[in-house]
Amino acid sequence: MAEGQREERKAKLRESRQREEAAARASERRQRMLKLGAAAVFGAIVVVAAFILISQSGSDSGGGNASDIRDAGLVNGQLNGISQDGLTLGDPEAKTTVIEFGDLQCPICKEYSEAVIPKLISGPVRQGKARLEFRNYLIIGPQSVDAGAAAIAAGEQGRGWNFIELFYRNQGVENSGYADDAFLESVAGAAGVRDIAEWNSARRSPAVRREMKRTSSQAVGFGFDGTPSFLVRGPHGTRKLGTPGLSVAPFEAAISQVG
Amino acid sequence: MATERTIRRFSGALAVAGIGVAAYIAIAESGGGAPACLAGGGGCETVAQSVYSDLGGINVALIGIAGYVALLGAAIVRGDAARFGGLMLALVGVGFSAYLTFLELFVIDAICQWCVASAVLMTALFALNAIRAFRFAGEELRSEDDGGVEPALIDPA
Repeated sequence: MAEGQREERKAKLRESRQREEAAARASERRQRMLKLGAAAVFGAIVVVAAFILISQSGSDSGGGNASDIRDAGLVNGQLNGISQDGLTLGDPEAKTTVIEFGDLQCPICKEYSEAVIPKLISGPVRQGKARLEFRNYLIIGPQSVDAGAAAIAAGEQGRGWNFIELFYRNQGVENSGYADDAFLESVAGAAGVRDIAEWNSARRSPAVRREMKRTSSQAVGFGFDGTPSFLVRGPHGTRKLGTPGLSVAPFEAAISQVG
Repeated sequence: MATERTIRRFSGALAVAGIGVAAYIAIAESGGGAPACLAGGGGCETVAQSVYSDLGGINVALIGIAGYVALLGAAIVRGDAARFGGLMLALVGVGFSAYLTFLELFVIDAICQWCVASAVLMTALFALNAIRAFRFAGEELRSEDDGGVEPALIDPA
Protein backbone atom coordinates (compact mmCIF):
# COMPACT_ATOMS: atom_id res chain seq x y z
CA MET A 1 0.00 0.00 0.00
CA ALA A 2 2.75 2.37 1.11
CA GLU A 3 4.70 1.28 -1.97
CA GLY A 4 1.69 2.19 -4.17
CA GLN A 5 1.32 5.63 -2.59
CA ARG A 6 5.00 6.29 -3.05
CA GLU A 7 4.74 5.36 -6.76
CA GLU A 8 1.69 7.59 -7.19
CA ARG A 9 3.43 10.53 -5.50
CA LYS A 10 6.50 9.97 -7.61
CA ALA A 11 4.39 9.95 -10.77
CA LYS A 12 2.69 13.20 -9.77
CA LEU A 13 6.01 14.86 -9.02
CA ARG A 14 7.36 13.67 -12.32
CA GLU A 15 4.32 15.03 -14.17
CA SER A 16 4.55 18.37 -12.38
CA ARG A 17 8.26 18.65 -13.14
CA GLN A 18 7.67 17.82 -16.80
CA ARG A 19 4.96 20.50 -16.99
CA GLU A 20 7.26 23.11 -15.44
CA GLU A 21 10.07 22.19 -17.77
CA ALA A 22 7.74 22.31 -20.80
CA ALA A 23 6.55 25.76 -19.71
CA ALA A 24 10.14 26.89 -19.29
CA ARG A 25 11.04 25.61 -22.74
CA ALA A 26 8.00 27.32 -24.27
CA SER A 27 9.02 30.57 -22.58
CA GLU A 28 12.58 30.13 -23.78
CA ARG A 29 11.28 29.50 -27.31
CA ARG A 30 9.14 32.65 -27.22
CA GLN A 31 12.02 34.77 -25.99
CA ARG A 32 14.36 33.34 -28.60
CA MET A 33 11.78 33.97 -31.34
CA LEU A 34 11.36 37.57 -30.21
CA LYS A 35 15.11 38.17 -30.05
CA LEU A 36 15.76 36.63 -33.46
CA GLY A 37 12.75 38.39 -35.00
CA ALA A 38 13.87 41.76 -33.64
CA ALA A 39 17.43 41.13 -34.86
CA ALA A 40 16.15 40.22 -38.34
CA VAL A 41 13.96 43.34 -38.56
CA PHE A 42 16.74 45.61 -37.25
CA GLY A 43 19.31 44.07 -39.60
CA ALA A 44 16.95 44.45 -42.57
CA ILE A 45 16.25 48.11 -41.77
CA VAL A 46 19.98 48.86 -41.51
CA VAL A 47 20.77 47.11 -44.82
CA VAL A 48 17.87 48.75 -46.72
CA ALA A 49 18.82 52.18 -45.32
CA ALA A 50 22.42 51.61 -46.45
CA PHE A 51 21.21 50.59 -49.95
CA ILE A 52 19.05 53.71 -50.22
CA LEU A 53 21.89 55.99 -49.06
CA ILE A 54 24.30 54.49 -51.59
CA SER A 55 21.66 54.74 -54.32
CA GLN A 56 20.90 58.38 -53.53
CA SER A 57 24.55 59.39 -53.25
CA GLY A 58 25.15 57.76 -56.64
CA SER A 59 22.34 59.69 -58.26
CA ASP A 60 22.84 63.02 -56.51
CA SER A 61 26.42 63.70 -57.22
CA GLY A 62 29.86 62.38 -56.98
CA GLY A 63 30.70 64.75 -59.78
CA GLY A 64 31.91 68.30 -59.81
CA ASN A 65 35.52 67.21 -59.42
CA ALA A 66 37.96 68.88 -61.84
CA SER A 67 40.62 66.24 -61.21
CA ASP A 68 38.27 63.30 -61.80
CA ILE A 69 36.29 63.75 -65.02
CA ARG A 70 34.42 60.52 -65.65
CA ASP A 71 32.82 58.83 -68.66
CA ALA A 72 34.82 60.69 -71.34
CA GLY A 73 35.26 57.43 -73.26
CA LEU A 74 31.56 56.64 -73.01
CA VAL A 75 30.41 60.08 -74.16
CA ASN A 76 32.97 60.52 -76.95
CA GLY A 77 32.21 57.00 -78.19
CA GLN A 78 28.49 57.76 -78.17
CA LEU A 79 29.02 60.82 -80.40
CA ASN A 80 31.78 59.42 -82.57
CA GLY A 81 31.24 59.94 -86.29
CA ILE A 82 28.20 62.22 -85.94
CA SER A 83 28.56 65.69 -87.46
CA GLN A 84 28.28 68.72 -85.18
CA ASP A 85 27.66 72.35 -86.00
CA GLY A 86 27.77 74.64 -82.99
CA LEU A 87 25.41 73.04 -80.50
CA THR A 88 23.56 71.06 -83.17
CA LEU A 89 24.26 67.36 -83.49
CA GLY A 90 23.42 65.19 -86.47
CA ASP A 91 22.87 65.14 -90.20
CA PRO A 92 22.26 68.69 -91.54
CA GLU A 93 19.83 67.13 -94.02
CA ALA A 94 17.66 65.55 -91.29
CA LYS A 95 14.01 66.59 -91.59
CA THR A 96 13.37 67.20 -87.90
CA THR A 97 15.16 68.93 -85.03
CA VAL A 98 14.76 68.09 -81.35
CA ILE A 99 15.56 71.24 -79.38
CA GLU A 100 16.50 71.02 -75.72
CA PHE A 101 16.25 74.17 -73.64
CA GLY A 102 18.55 73.23 -70.79
CA ASP A 103 20.68 74.51 -67.96
CA LEU A 104 23.92 72.59 -67.49
CA GLN A 105 23.58 72.85 -63.70
CA CYS A 106 20.11 71.29 -63.74
CA PRO A 107 19.95 67.77 -62.21
CA ILE A 108 16.81 66.80 -64.15
CA CYS A 109 18.62 67.72 -67.39
CA LYS A 110 21.35 65.31 -66.25
CA GLU A 111 18.70 62.59 -65.85
CA TYR A 112 17.52 63.20 -69.42
CA SER A 113 21.09 63.31 -70.64
CA GLU A 114 21.68 59.85 -69.20
CA ALA A 115 18.30 58.20 -69.78
CA VAL A 116 16.86 59.71 -72.97
CA ILE A 117 19.52 61.52 -75.01
CA PRO A 118 21.67 58.37 -75.63
CA LYS A 119 18.57 56.66 -77.07
CA LEU A 120 17.84 59.63 -79.31
CA ILE A 121 21.45 59.70 -80.47
CA SER A 122 21.67 55.97 -81.20
CA GLY A 123 18.19 56.02 -82.81
CA PRO A 124 16.79 58.97 -84.79
CA VAL A 125 20.04 60.99 -84.89
CA ARG A 126 22.25 58.17 -86.18
CA GLN A 127 19.48 57.13 -88.58
CA GLY A 128 19.49 60.66 -90.05
CA LYS A 129 15.86 61.29 -89.06
CA ALA A 130 16.52 64.06 -86.54
CA ARG A 131 19.09 66.52 -85.29
CA LEU A 132 19.59 67.46 -81.66
CA GLU A 133 20.05 71.09 -80.75
CA PHE A 134 20.96 72.43 -77.31
CA ARG A 135 19.89 75.94 -76.37
CA ASN A 136 20.87 77.48 -73.04
CA TYR A 137 17.98 78.38 -70.78
CA LEU A 138 19.76 79.93 -67.81
CA ILE A 139 17.63 79.64 -64.71
CA ILE A 140 19.74 78.23 -61.88
CA GLY A 141 22.58 80.63 -61.14
CA PRO A 142 25.71 82.50 -62.27
CA GLN A 143 27.63 79.27 -62.82
CA SER A 144 24.98 78.24 -65.35
CA VAL A 145 26.12 81.24 -67.40
CA ASP A 146 29.80 80.19 -67.25
CA ALA A 147 28.94 76.57 -68.07
CA GLY A 148 26.62 77.51 -70.94
CA ALA A 149 29.24 79.86 -72.41
CA ALA A 150 31.84 77.10 -72.18
CA ALA A 151 29.52 74.75 -74.10
CA ILE A 152 28.97 77.30 -76.90
CA ALA A 153 32.73 77.90 -77.12
CA ALA A 154 33.31 74.12 -77.34
CA GLY A 155 30.71 74.05 -80.10
CA GLU A 156 32.83 76.47 -82.10
CA GLN A 157 35.48 73.74 -82.22
CA GLY A 158 33.00 70.99 -83.13
CA ARG A 159 32.91 69.51 -79.62
CA GLY A 160 29.76 71.16 -78.24
CA TRP A 161 27.76 67.98 -77.60
CA ASN A 162 30.82 66.20 -76.18
CA PHE A 163 31.13 69.08 -73.71
CA ILE A 164 27.41 69.12 -72.84
CA GLU A 165 27.11 65.37 -72.30
CA LEU A 166 30.37 65.16 -70.37
CA PHE A 167 29.37 68.13 -68.20
CA TYR A 168 26.09 66.42 -67.30
CA ARG A 169 27.87 63.13 -66.50
CA ASN A 170 30.17 64.99 -64.12
CA GLN A 171 27.67 67.51 -62.80
CA GLY A 172 28.05 68.58 -59.16
CA VAL A 173 25.58 70.10 -56.72
CA GLU A 174 23.91 73.15 -58.23
CA ASN A 175 25.34 76.54 -57.25
CA SER A 176 27.94 74.88 -55.02
CA GLY A 177 30.80 76.60 -56.85
CA TYR A 178 32.11 73.48 -58.55
CA ALA A 179 31.72 74.83 -62.10
CA ASP A 180 34.82 77.03 -61.85
CA ASP A 181 37.49 77.61 -64.50
CA ALA A 182 39.46 74.51 -63.49
CA PHE A 183 36.39 72.26 -63.77
CA LEU A 184 35.25 73.76 -67.08
CA GLU A 185 38.76 73.42 -68.51
CA SER A 186 38.97 69.78 -67.41
CA VAL A 187 35.61 69.00 -69.05
CA ALA A 188 36.66 70.81 -72.23
CA GLY A 189 39.94 68.88 -72.37
CA ALA A 190 38.20 65.54 -71.83
CA ALA A 191 35.55 66.48 -74.42
CA GLY A 192 38.28 66.89 -77.03
CA VAL A 193 38.44 70.68 -77.34
CA ARG A 194 41.82 71.07 -79.03
CA ASP A 195 42.62 74.77 -78.66
CA ILE A 196 41.98 75.64 -75.01
CA ALA A 197 43.33 79.20 -75.41
CA GLU A 198 40.87 79.90 -78.22
CA TRP A 199 38.08 78.22 -76.26
CA ASN A 200 38.89 80.41 -73.22
CA SER A 201 38.75 83.50 -75.36
CA ALA A 202 35.48 82.48 -77.03
CA ARG A 203 33.64 81.61 -73.83
CA ARG A 204 34.35 85.08 -72.41
CA SER A 205 33.19 86.96 -75.49
CA PRO A 206 30.14 89.24 -75.33
CA ALA A 207 28.69 87.49 -78.39
CA VAL A 208 28.38 84.23 -76.44
CA ARG A 209 26.61 86.01 -73.58
CA ARG A 210 24.21 87.63 -76.02
CA GLU A 211 23.47 84.26 -77.62
CA MET A 212 22.53 82.77 -74.22
CA LYS A 213 20.31 85.71 -73.44
CA ARG A 214 18.58 85.24 -76.80
CA THR A 215 17.95 81.48 -76.28
CA SER A 216 16.74 82.02 -72.71
CA SER A 217 14.23 84.58 -73.99
CA GLN A 218 13.11 82.10 -76.67
CA ALA A 219 12.37 79.50 -73.98
CA VAL A 220 10.23 82.00 -72.09
CA GLY A 221 8.52 82.87 -75.36
CA PHE A 222 7.57 79.23 -75.87
CA GLY A 223 6.00 79.27 -72.40
CA PHE A 224 8.59 76.95 -70.85
CA ASP A 225 9.05 77.56 -67.13
CA GLY A 226 11.61 74.90 -66.27
CA THR A 227 14.50 72.84 -67.59
CA PRO A 228 14.82 70.74 -69.52
CA SER A 229 12.07 71.70 -71.94
CA PHE A 230 11.93 70.10 -75.35
CA LEU A 231 10.28 70.85 -78.64
CA VAL A 232 10.44 69.03 -81.95
CA ARG A 233 10.35 70.90 -85.28
CA GLY A 234 9.84 69.53 -88.76
CA PRO A 235 8.24 70.21 -92.13
CA HIS A 236 4.82 69.40 -90.66
CA GLY A 237 4.97 71.75 -87.72
CA THR A 238 6.27 72.08 -84.20
CA ARG A 239 5.41 69.89 -81.21
CA LYS A 240 6.08 71.31 -77.75
CA LEU A 241 6.93 68.40 -75.46
CA GLY A 242 8.02 70.37 -72.40
CA THR A 243 9.39 67.88 -69.90
CA PRO A 244 7.75 64.64 -71.06
CA GLY A 245 9.22 62.05 -68.66
CA LEU A 246 12.31 59.89 -68.91
CA SER A 247 11.18 57.95 -71.94
CA VAL A 248 12.23 58.19 -75.56
CA ALA A 249 8.72 57.27 -76.79
CA PRO A 250 7.20 60.82 -76.83
CA PHE A 251 10.22 62.11 -78.76
CA GLU A 252 9.96 59.36 -81.37
CA ALA A 253 6.22 59.97 -81.72
CA ALA A 254 6.76 63.73 -82.19
CA ILE A 255 9.55 63.12 -84.74
CA SER A 256 7.17 60.90 -86.74
CA GLN A 257 4.37 63.46 -86.53
CA VAL A 258 6.29 66.52 -87.70
CA GLY A 259 8.81 64.79 -89.97
CA MET B 1 -1.87 23.28 -42.32
CA ALA B 2 1.32 23.59 -44.36
CA THR B 3 4.39 21.93 -42.91
CA GLU B 4 7.73 23.70 -42.72
CA ARG B 5 9.02 21.41 -45.44
CA THR B 6 6.25 22.57 -47.81
CA ILE B 7 7.02 26.23 -47.05
CA ARG B 8 10.73 25.65 -47.64
CA ARG B 9 9.98 23.97 -50.97
CA PHE B 10 7.78 26.87 -52.10
CA SER B 11 10.43 29.38 -50.97
CA GLY B 12 13.09 27.48 -52.88
CA ALA B 13 10.97 27.45 -56.04
CA LEU B 14 10.25 31.20 -55.78
CA ALA B 15 13.94 31.94 -55.15
CA VAL B 16 14.87 29.95 -58.28
CA ALA B 17 12.26 31.94 -60.27
CA GLY B 18 13.76 35.16 -58.83
CA ILE B 19 17.25 34.10 -59.89
CA GLY B 20 15.87 33.56 -63.40
CA VAL B 21 14.23 37.00 -63.58
CA ALA B 22 17.25 38.85 -62.13
CA ALA B 23 19.67 36.91 -64.36
CA TYR B 24 17.63 37.82 -67.45
CA ILE B 25 17.69 41.53 -66.49
CA ALA B 26 21.45 41.39 -65.75
CA ILE B 27 22.24 39.64 -69.07
CA ALA B 28 20.02 42.03 -71.06
CA GLU B 29 21.68 45.07 -69.45
CA SER B 30 25.24 43.73 -69.63
CA GLY B 31 25.93 45.08 -73.14
CA GLY B 32 24.35 48.46 -72.46
CA GLY B 33 20.94 47.14 -73.57
CA ALA B 34 17.71 46.60 -71.70
CA PRO B 35 15.29 43.74 -71.04
CA ALA B 36 12.43 43.44 -73.54
CA CYS B 37 9.20 44.85 -72.12
CA LEU B 38 6.59 42.27 -73.22
CA ALA B 39 3.81 44.83 -72.81
CA GLY B 40 5.73 47.41 -74.88
CA GLY B 41 6.05 51.08 -73.95
CA GLY B 42 9.81 51.24 -73.46
CA GLY B 43 9.59 51.31 -69.65
CA CYS B 44 12.25 48.64 -69.27
CA GLU B 45 14.69 50.62 -71.43
CA THR B 46 14.08 53.79 -69.45
CA VAL B 47 14.61 52.03 -66.14
CA ALA B 48 17.71 50.21 -67.42
CA GLN B 49 19.23 53.49 -68.65
CA SER B 50 18.45 55.26 -65.39
CA VAL B 51 21.22 56.16 -62.96
CA TYR B 52 19.35 54.09 -60.38
CA SER B 53 20.03 50.83 -62.23
CA ASP B 54 23.42 50.73 -60.48
CA LEU B 55 24.12 50.67 -56.76
CA GLY B 56 27.64 51.80 -55.90
CA GLY B 57 28.78 50.79 -59.38
CA ILE B 58 27.15 47.33 -59.21
CA ASN B 59 24.15 46.52 -61.39
CA VAL B 60 21.04 46.21 -59.21
CA ALA B 61 20.08 42.98 -61.02
CA LEU B 62 23.37 41.38 -59.90
CA ILE B 63 22.56 42.35 -56.31
CA GLY B 64 19.14 40.76 -56.88
CA ILE B 65 20.74 37.50 -58.03
CA ALA B 66 22.89 37.45 -54.88
CA GLY B 67 19.79 38.05 -52.74
CA TYR B 68 17.76 35.26 -54.38
CA VAL B 69 20.70 32.83 -54.12
CA ALA B 70 20.99 33.62 -50.39
CA LEU B 71 17.20 33.09 -50.00
CA LEU B 72 17.51 29.74 -51.81
CA GLY B 73 20.26 28.82 -49.34
CA ALA B 74 18.03 29.81 -46.41
CA ALA B 75 15.23 27.63 -47.83
CA ILE B 76 17.55 24.62 -48.07
CA VAL B 77 19.12 24.91 -44.61
CA ARG B 78 17.22 23.89 -41.45
CA GLY B 79 17.13 25.57 -38.05
CA ASP B 80 16.43 28.96 -36.53
CA ALA B 81 19.47 30.64 -38.11
CA ALA B 82 18.10 29.81 -41.58
CA ARG B 83 14.54 30.74 -40.56
CA PHE B 84 15.45 34.20 -39.30
CA GLY B 85 18.28 34.71 -41.80
CA GLY B 86 15.72 34.05 -44.54
CA LEU B 87 13.29 36.45 -42.89
CA MET B 88 15.94 39.18 -42.75
CA LEU B 89 16.97 38.63 -46.38
CA ALA B 90 13.34 38.70 -47.54
CA LEU B 91 12.71 41.88 -45.52
CA VAL B 92 15.74 43.53 -47.15
CA GLY B 93 14.43 42.37 -50.53
CA VAL B 94 10.93 43.71 -49.92
CA GLY B 95 12.24 47.03 -48.55
CA PHE B 96 14.59 47.55 -51.47
CA SER B 97 11.91 46.47 -53.99
CA ALA B 98 9.54 49.02 -52.45
CA TYR B 99 12.19 51.74 -52.79
CA LEU B 100 12.87 50.80 -56.43
CA THR B 101 9.15 50.74 -57.22
CA PHE B 102 8.83 54.21 -55.67
CA LEU B 103 11.67 55.42 -57.92
CA GLU B 104 10.01 53.89 -60.99
CA LEU B 105 6.67 55.54 -60.23
CA PHE B 106 7.75 58.96 -59.02
CA VAL B 107 11.34 59.64 -60.14
CA ILE B 108 12.11 57.67 -63.31
CA ASP B 109 8.49 57.88 -64.43
CA ALA B 110 8.55 54.46 -66.10
CA ILE B 111 7.65 50.92 -65.08
CA CYS B 112 9.69 47.86 -65.95
CA GLN B 113 7.53 44.73 -65.80
CA TRP B 114 10.54 42.53 -64.98
CA CYS B 115 11.21 44.68 -61.90
CA VAL B 116 7.54 44.34 -60.96
CA ALA B 117 7.79 40.55 -61.38
CA SER B 118 10.81 40.52 -59.08
CA ALA B 119 9.01 42.69 -56.52
CA VAL B 120 6.03 40.28 -56.52
CA LEU B 121 8.32 37.26 -56.06
CA MET B 122 10.15 39.00 -53.24
CA THR B 123 6.87 39.89 -51.49
CA ALA B 124 5.73 36.25 -51.69
CA LEU B 125 9.12 35.13 -50.36
CA PHE B 126 8.76 37.56 -47.47
CA ALA B 127 5.32 36.16 -46.60
CA LEU B 128 6.60 32.57 -46.68
CA ASN B 129 9.71 33.36 -44.65
CA ALA B 130 7.67 35.28 -42.07
CA ILE B 131 5.31 32.28 -41.65
CA ARG B 132 8.26 29.92 -41.44
CA ALA B 133 10.09 32.02 -38.86
CA PHE B 134 7.20 32.75 -36.53
CA ARG B 135 5.31 29.46 -36.81
CA PHE B 136 8.25 27.08 -36.77
CA ALA B 137 10.89 28.95 -34.73
CA GLY B 138 12.37 26.79 -31.98
CA GLU B 139 10.74 23.70 -33.53
CA GLU B 140 13.65 21.65 -32.23
CA LEU B 141 12.88 22.81 -28.66
CA ARG B 142 9.17 22.11 -29.08
CA SER B 143 9.77 18.61 -30.39
CA GLU B 144 11.43 17.85 -27.05
CA ASP B 145 8.14 18.79 -25.36
CA ASP B 146 6.22 16.49 -27.64
CA GLY B 147 8.38 13.42 -27.63
CA GLY B 148 11.38 14.04 -25.43
CA VAL B 149 11.88 12.21 -22.17
CA GLU B 150 14.38 12.64 -19.44
CA PRO B 151 16.71 9.71 -19.23
CA ALA B 152 16.83 9.97 -15.41
CA LEU B 153 13.09 9.25 -15.20
CA ILE B 154 13.05 6.18 -17.39
CA ASP B 155 11.91 3.21 -15.43
CA PRO B 156 14.32 0.34 -16.15
CA ALA B 157 11.50 -2.13 -15.56
